[in-house]
Amino acid sequence: MIEITEAEISLDEMIRRARSKDAGAMVTFLGTVRDDGMEGLEVEAFREAAQAELEAIREEAMSRFHLMAAEVVHRTGSLAVGESIVAIVCSAAHREEAFSGCRYIIEELKKRAPLWKKEMGEKGERWVGRT
Amino acid sequence: MVLAFAGFREILGKERELRLLEGATVKELLEELALANPRFKEAAFDESGELRDYVLLMVNRKRIDPLQDLSRTLQEGDELAIFPPLAGG
Repeated sequence: MIEITEAEISLDEMIRRARSKDAGAMVTFLGTVRDDGMEGLEVEAFREAAQAELEAIREEAMSRFHLMAAEVVHRTGSLAVGESIVAIVCSAAHREEAFSGCRYIIEELKKRAPLWKKEMGEKGERWVGRT
Repeated sequence: MVLAFAGFREILGKERELRLLEGATVKELLEELALANPRFKEAAFDESGELRDYVLLMVNRKRIDPLQDLSRTLQEGDELAIFPPLAGG
């Protein structure tokens, strides 16, 4: 399942959905708000386009790495330092595929999904990645 | 329909409908937006009037290449999205 949501991420729930009797490995990735001298982040999405891109990335990962399940949840809205921004859960028969699939999804997400982050701090605000 | 995200949303607003002359191109639409909004002009175009390389575009949710596709003609009902480099995850 792919979800773009303002709600908190439940990793337990994602793991529950990705479990299966044929899976011998599950890999999870959590991207969190790092304290780069700021108070938090605002995350913005082009929701429909991001959903479609993440669905495509998920399909690619499923077939390339023979995954049994792949779950991706990306948050939007205001996030404090330490909170989760994105969670990915991949299950596969063996750990190698599960690690590779999870890695593929986060790397492609960062390259292709229309999502943006704005750092919010006492000194002001700044869009990440903008020159 | 024009959609703008992140820094460009702050300048242009999230979405707006624009009436275009028949045969108008992506470049003409961007120039029309720049003419109406000096902040957008400054953010999106350099001094020589070229689109800055951090301006990313989608037409109908498919990325277009600003180097090759600015002369693309827009049809009624098309959706142009304008945004800066992606920064998810």
